[in-house]
Amino acid sequence: MKTTINEHERRDFVSGVESMLHDKLSNCYQCGKCSAGCPVNFEMDYTPNQIIKMTELGMADTVLNSKTIWLCVSCITCSTRCPKGFEVTGIMDVLREIAVKKGINSKAEREVQLFHKIFLENIKSNGRISEFELVRKYNLKTKHLFKDMFLAPKMLEKGKLKIHGVKISNLNRIAKIFKDFE
Amino acid sequence: MARIGVFVCWCGSNIAGTVDVAKVAEEASKIPGVVCAVDYKYMCSDPGQNSLRKMIREQKLTGLVLAACSPHMHENTFRRAAVKEGLNPYFVEIANIREQVSWVHEDKERATQKAIDLTKMMVEKVKKDRPIEDVKVPLTKRALVIGGGIAGIQAALDTANGGVQVILVEKEPSIGGRMIQLDETFPTLDCSSCIMTPKMVEVRQHPNIKLYTYSEIEDISGYIGNFKIKIKKKTRSVLEKDCTGCGECWNACPMHKNVKSEFNADMSERTAIYVPFPQAVPLIPVLDRSACLHYKKGGKCQKCFDACGPKCIDFGLRDEIIEEEVGAIIAATGYDLMDNSLYGEYGYGKYKDVVSGLQFERLLSASGPTEGVIRRPSDGKTPQTIVFIQCVGSRDPEKGVPYCSKVCCMYTAKHAKLFAHKVRDSQSYVFYIDIRATGKGYEEFVRSAMEQDGAVYLRGRVSRIYEDNGKLIVKGADTLSGTQVEIAADMVVLATGVIPKKDSDRLARMLGISYDKYGFFTESHPKLRPTESSTAGIFLAGMAQGPRDIPESVVSGSAAASKVLGLFSKSEYEVEGTIANVNEATCVACFYCQRVCAYHAITGKEIKDRNGNIVKVVANVNPGLCTGCGACVSACFSKSIDVKGFMDDQIYAEIKSLGV
Repeated sequence: MKTTINEHERRDFVSGVESMLHDKLSNCYQCGKCSAGCPVNFEMDYTPNQIIKMTELGMADTVLNSKTIWLCVSCITCSTRCPKGFEVTGIMDVLREIAVKKGINSKAEREVQLFHKIFLENIKSNGRISEFELVRKYNLKTKHLFKDMFLAPKMLEKGKLKIHGVKISNLNRIAKIFKDFE
Repeated sequence: MARIGVFVCWCGSNIAGTVDVAKVAEEASKIPGVVCAVDYKYMCSDPGQNSLRKMIREQKLTGLVLAACSPHMHENTFRRAAVKEGLNPYFVEIANIREQVSWVHEDKERATQKAIDLTKMMVEKVKKDRPIEDVKVPLTKRALVIGGGIAGIQAALDTANGGVQVILVEKEPSIGGRMIQLDETFPTLDCSSCIMTPKMVEVRQHPNIKLYTYSEIEDISGYIGNFKIKIKKKTRSVLEKDCTGCGECWNACPMHKNVKSEFNADMSERTAIYVPFPQAVPLIPVLDRSACLHYKKGGKCQKCFDACGPKCIDFGLRDEIIEEEVGAIIAATGYDLMDNSLYGEYGYGKYKDVVSGLQFERLLSASGPTEGVIRRPSDGKTPQTIVFIQCVGSRDPEKGVPYCSKVCCMYTAKHAKLFAHKVRDSQSYVFYIDIRATGKGYEEFVRSAMEQDGAVYLRGRVSRIYEDNGKLIVKGADTLSGTQVEIAADMVVLATGVIPKKDSDRLARMLGISYDKYGFFTESHPKLRPTESSTAGIFLAGMAQGPRDIPESVVSGSAAASKVLGLFSKSEYEVEGTIANVNEATCVACFYCQRVCAYHAITGKEIKDRNGNIVKVVANVNPGLCTGCGACVSACFSKSIDVKGFMDDQIYAEIKSLGV
């Protein structure tokens, strides 16, 4: 892999990420503790600390097209354990958002990205997750029509799956969160 | 008849765990001449020593054998105990049954037998011991400090403040060394010359310090307490007494474009008659004859002489040799910088904007060639992007420098910070292998270069630099992200590593001190005797010993001074009596001994008859220099040299005791 650093592009990318992250990329020690504890590291193409370094170096194309940002499950193990209190999980979120905004479609992790999109739309319209709606849309779009279907009766029985009326009462507040982030 | 006591130490379980100490004592008691043999848990403890002293009194012992640890550990402890009971200290012998037996063997039976054998040998040796008196050497209570950098200055001031006369010899026209060339110092960013010049002035004005600048050590002879020094005082071609340092001479000099300023690391020019920098101590110019038109054109130019008010320029002055006598020497000769041009791939010397760390330091400095404004050498423009490369001339075995230069990580972080402070919206990139920031406040300093001042650190070395379209293209790598990185920079600063001062090996040979394979002076013990050289009376300070930063150099200067003051606190210096002794009757004056002696302790001595005619010349041992190593003994063809305490008959008795 080769990178030619363009100072202006690097600064634009870094300041864009940092303003959304509310943290400085230079705070990272590059000690690798985040990668050491990451439960999905084995599936990633770049380790979390590499993502941070590459972001600092302005390697936008590489990080925004990486599998890593879509494979991160936001378990926050990395951020919890980070000796510098760096927002490792946060940077994954930020990079996902930038990728979506730029219209970059992950080839390797198409379904994850789709899930991400449906999930957020679901939150936006309901103020919380409507499991039924989420699964329906996701399964339709991915054409796995019967995926996880056998779990539905049990969940219904336990009241975990509601078919109607899952909207929260004050949707305006959720709308404000989305607006602030955009 | 000898009355010998044998004391077998357990050293807790250190010895007793592997050696049957009771059996050793029992076997020792059977040796003729041994009147008592005991074992005890810790012979070195107070009760252990008391029982030893009680035994000497009660049994009227004439010799002691301690079967215990190495003589390096407690020989002196037991000798002191013996002296308190009126014995000569050299009637104490140590059988080392710890380092040579229990620590290196496992089989208890055989280890015990070896311990018994070693004890037997020492019993036979002690029977043949003779009293030895320690040698007393007179002390000249003056000290020589070689090198007027921060370490030498600190050593000179501390010694002088202790009431001792100091002679400070500096090779350059001014004291101040490398530190005065620096702009600001890590990690506090205080200005180097602000904290250095008061010390330099103090040296100049101190009643106990005699300062020789622009001078070199020509020869050193003698030994601890009695060194004779020849100092070559190179001529400045200026009558120092009359010079006021007014500057008329160097303002008048027509040669102001041709000579590179050493002080500014070749970044500017100086005149032929010059002071290296405005705060020089002493503020007396030097006439560089290799550059002066007066000498080149057969005396035609004498503009400086004409300009000089007190007429103190004398073109005919010559070097002087000054002789001084001192009792102790502190070597603080400092360091040089690695030759950057060894790295052809970085283009130092080829591309003007690739500069060394010291050159960048001068660019930052208010007293430097650009008066503190960062301008790149090629076109004088202020750079916006600088790439710093660490470990240039450090950690590179292929270039003969496997060691870490210790200061480069810190000064690079400092450079990056100062660059960010001085040039708005600038960007620095630092290529490193590891960051060594172990001093007080150092790690925080490096982090602040990254976090506050925005330096981007890339973990990797640079492979190549080339010029393209007015930019320096730096091809490096970042091993953390696993990428090859290419940066277009306006300027590149190489964090040049340090090497020993040129000719330091020559000085080391003159001083008779040892130095390592790189040329750094080696200490007597790396941990426990870090300021002593291998030769008594010669102490070390500063970077001459190896890479270190300013605080460490100051500490080492003070440490060396305290050693000198400690040495001079006694009226005479006592040398152990176990030194070489020549049998003048049998010596044939082949002087092979002189050739093998590493300490230059052997000289010729004329033996004269009543009428003063020389009968013969024999070898003579200087007790102040001899360390009792025994090299001369084994080299002597006529068996005319012995080391006291290790005489032939004693060694033979030891061997015979083994029944071989």
